[in-house]
Order: sequence, then C-alpha cells, then structure tokens
Amino acid sequence: MKTAAVLLIAIVAQAAGNVFLTRGMKAVAATAGPAPGGLTGTLSQSLNVALQAMQSPEVWLGTLLLIVFFALYSASLSWADLSFVLPATAFGYVLNVAAGYYFLNEEVTRARWLGSLVITLGVVFVSRSGERTTAVQEAQQIGAGDRQ
Amino acid sequence: MKTALMIALVVLGGSVGDVFITKGMKQIGEIATLNVRELLRIAGRTLANKWFLVGVWFMAVSFFSFLAVLSWADLSLVLPATSISFVITTIGAKLYLRETISPVRWAGILLVCIGVALISLP
Repeated sequence: MKTAAVLLIAIVAQAAGNVFLTRGMKAVAATAGPAPGGLTGTLSQSLNVALQAMQSPEVWLGTLLLIVFFALYSASLSWADLSFVLPATAFGYVLNVAAGYYFLNEEVTRARWLGSLVITLGVVFVSRSGERTTAVQEAQQIGAGDRQ
Repeated sequence: MKTALMIALVVLGGSVGDVFITKGMKQIGEIATLNVRELLRIAGRTLANKWFLVGVWFMAVSFFSFLAVLSWADLSLVLPATSISFVITTIGAKLYLRETISPVRWAGILLVCIGVALISLP
C-alpha cells in the first residue's frame, strides 16, 4: 500500500514535470528564434537558450517535479525490489498517452493504445508478485566487503 | 554499428545505474518516517552513499549517450530499442541484488517491455 501510494505520486509528478518542461522549453525556443549558422552560432544559441531556460518558472517547476519523482523512486528502492519498482513505474507511459489524449488533444495511434493496454496488464502481473524478495540483512551486506 | 554500440551504452548505463542506486538505497535501509528533519538526515546520508553516487553517474552516462545517439539516429528506432532495458535491469537485479523473479513477475516484465516498444513506435 505504501509502495503503491509512493509510486503513484512519483509517476504523476514525472508526467506533470515532463509537461511543464516541454511547455517551458518550447516557449524559450520560440523567443530565442532560429539558430544562426556555423558552430559558433549554434554554441552561442545553446548558451542563450540555457540562460533563458533558467529564468522560466515552468522550467523550474518541471525540474522540481522531476526531482520529486527521482526522490520518491529512490525512496521506494530502500524497501522494495528494483525488479518490482522499475516495471511498476512503466505505468507512467500509459499516463502520458492518456494525458496527451485528454489534455493536449493529441491523436493516439492504434499501436499506442495497444501498447498502453499491454503495459497495464504487465504492471498488474508485476504487482501480484510481492514487492520484496530479499532479506534486509542480506541486501545490506551485498558488496559489504568493498564498502569503506 | 556505431548506433548499436551507443544504444547498448544507453541501456547498460541505465541498468547498471539502477542496480547501484538500489544497492545504495538498501544500505540506507527502509525509509519509514514522515518527520521532515529525519527525512532531511536520510537525504544527506543518501547523497553521501558511494553506491548511490556511482549509480547516478552511470545514469548520467546513459542519458548523454542517449542525447548523442539522437543526433544521428531516429528517435523511432532508439526509443523502442531501449525498452529492452526492462529485461536487462531485471537480470542485473537477479544476479547482483539476488532478487527472486517469479514466473508471474517475469511475465509482467516481458509484457511491460513489449508494451513500451509498441508505444514508442512512430
């Protein structure tokens, strides 16, 4: 239950973070205009975009949400199996497809709907397999010899 | 050939990174508090954990390889190809972290892998 709650918040934070980052970066790119030619032009354009991105509240919010995702993902790994947490977070792909369909009016191909269905089925299977298969002692001692 | 090598680097970097991050977090031990001061202390210990940092470093290698390969290869090839990382990471979790992968869990992971490949097709 704890794992499900933590991972659900993590996935939602990740999806929202990606949306804010995309919107923020698209806005920054639009103000920056097209890149001038040549290597120097490309480099100065990249620097310009990076500096402007750091002033965009949407980019900051998106980055913050992705940090929240990573913190919750890491926290869940402190008690649950990696082979449980990783496939479970794949449900985020389904959330992205649904968000694109409902909020951004994106067209969703048949392959993407089928993929979402297959991922959901996979996550249901994984969630039935128990979240931890290693003992606490054992997990803390793996590679303990090289832990100076 | 160059593309295949880079995709291998993206996948292996991500998988090795995930395995080391898990190893570090298992050393930290189960987080079972909502006390802010306690959580900040755990965060500090995590950021000082050698294995966690090595894992993050591998993740960074994977991420920059991903950016590099996208500069010449199509996203519609690279993205479905990287879905194999679900299987590679699971093998790492089984061999190195000694997690038990039951047949039900294997079936779920394979379904996720196929589903992610389907979703990332153009």
